[in-house]
Amino acid sequence: MPLEGLNPYHLQVGSFVLINAILGVSIYVTLSTGQLSLGNAGFMSIGAYAAALLSTQHQVPIPVGILAGSLLAGAAGILVGIPSLRLSGVYLAIATLGFGEVLRAVLINWESLTGGAVGIAAIPQMGRVILAWAIDRGFSPGSLGLQSNQFISLTVFLILLLCTILTVAFFLRLSRSRVGRAYAAIRQDERAAEAAGIPITYYKVLAFSQGALLSGFAGALFAHSTSFVSPGDFTYHRAVEILVFAVFGGSEHIFGPAFGAAFLTVLPEALRPISDYRYILYGILLVVMMVFRPQGVIDPALVRRFRRSGGETPA
Amino acid sequence: MSGLLSLRNVGKWFGGLSALSDISFDVQSGEIVGVIGPNGAGKTTLFNVVTAVFPPTAGEVVFDGERISGLPPHAITKRGVTRTFQNIRLFSTMTVEENVMVGRHCRTGAGVWRGVLRTREERREEQGIRGKARELLDLVGLSVADRDRAAGSLPYGHQRRLEIARALAAEPRLLLLDEPVAGMNDAETQDVFRLIQRVRALGVTILLIEHDMSLVMKACDRLVVFNFGRKIAEGTPAEIRDNPQVIEAYLGSAGGSDA
Repeated sequence: MPLEGLNPYHLQVGSFVLINAILGVSIYVTLSTGQLSLGNAGFMSIGAYAAALLSTQHQVPIPVGILAGSLLAGAAGILVGIPSLRLSGVYLAIATLGFGEVLRAVLINWESLTGGAVGIAAIPQMGRVILAWAIDRGFSPGSLGLQSNQFISLTVFLILLLCTILTVAFFLRLSRSRVGRAYAAIRQDERAAEAAGIPITYYKVLAFSQGALLSGFAGALFAHSTSFVSPGDFTYHRAVEILVFAVFGGSEHIFGPAFGAAFLTVLPEALRPISDYRYILYGILLVVMMVFRPQGVIDPALVRRFRRSGGETPA
Repeated sequence: MSGLLSLRNVGKWFGGLSALSDISFDVQSGEIVGVIGPNGAGKTTLFNVVTAVFPPTAGEVVFDGERISGLPPHAITKRGVTRTFQNIRLFSTMTVEENVMVGRHCRTGAGVWRGVLRTREERREEQGIRGKARELLDLVGLSVADRDRAAGSLPYGHQRRLEIARALAAEPRLLLLDEPVAGMNDAETQDVFRLIQRVRALGVTILLIEHDMSLVMKACDRLVVFNFGRKIAEGTPAEIRDNPQVIEAYLGSAGGSDA
């Protein structure tokens, strides 16, 4: 069977690609109403810590913890989103970045709950939990020709793949609905959008909290994939990384940030042999992008052309 | 005798600058009322106050017996007041059809879940939105071939018509048109004149800001004249034409040799 050759390392890189793709979609959703949020690393930490604490301290089943973590992050998104309505552009970016940093300071200092700078370890890992459950029922990964660690990595990868596909499908459909048109209208011209009868406050807070919820979802999945979270996972660098997914991949179509996440997660791994120089290449790539394709790799025109040549009819 | 729209002592100051002061007039249902006056007279400010781009500093705006000043813009649209803009504000990268579909927003209700799940109800609603949008594009004279173009790529005159179609999509009872023929030639102006007649035939009351006097005189039942933020005259086109104050506002000194 070809499964025997599965490399857990490749699967793990694949898993990070998928988590990052969800993060890429999270910044896209908020941006689709013209709001630039750099708070997504912060919302991600809410989802990750909530899921981690629920499963380690309260023995809550993993799916419930992930759901709760996502919803908590979404609720935090509403709370941050409402005062942020007064801000736009770079000021919103600064405020949300500040939110993320404040949150990280809380995570570091609230040691009794969060374990401080050390973080939370021994979070139940999705793949291991499923393997243990399956073995209890007389299943052996050997029957698929897999080692245990291959099975674990594969399970995590497939769960994340499903989550990512559902997320992208959800927001792709949303973008082609009444709500999606309202988002696009607000992004292009707020004044005209409200004159056309769109309650812009409602939709901006909705998009902001949807982005927060998705970040929390990615964070909760991250916690249960790596089984370890610490404040170091949710720094300023993470916030900027998420932004770069959208800048590089393109922020005008949902496939843009998803592609950006995939490409920019694989690239550093592929460049490991020349690891001393990889961030130089990364930087050069971004500068080249800014000069030659500032809208990002993928834009709606490219998607349309691809559809036409593929003979697929748009929905 | 209050009309469909009543302005009662409306005033608007920007800091120490008075843009509108003590404006009162009524628009009756079914009328076409023209708002004229020199540049900077406060005409667009009036539209902005009525549609809540900013609130009035004094007075109130009453629509169909209900005070609408203080409501947010989308709520005013929902009550049946829509507008076009002096400098066209389309969603330029969206298609022509989508622009009009956005205008249907307040008459439809599908939220996030119905949109994502594409329920039967949602699909029917979308079909209705698309059908209405196409009907309105026909009404304003945009062709089938234009539907899928980016709105920003339309020629200027067609962009103005598209804005009118978007404003009509919300099924307004009162439509505010801000210089709909600015920059158009005579033939295009005639087309817009006929379009205004068709819109009125739908039962829509129209408040029209326009500098093209031939259009204003022909299209409007009544005129309101502004100068320096004040209403200086009100009456039928014939009355306004002979009003000495209006002539002064437009041409300078009263009874001057070149008037």
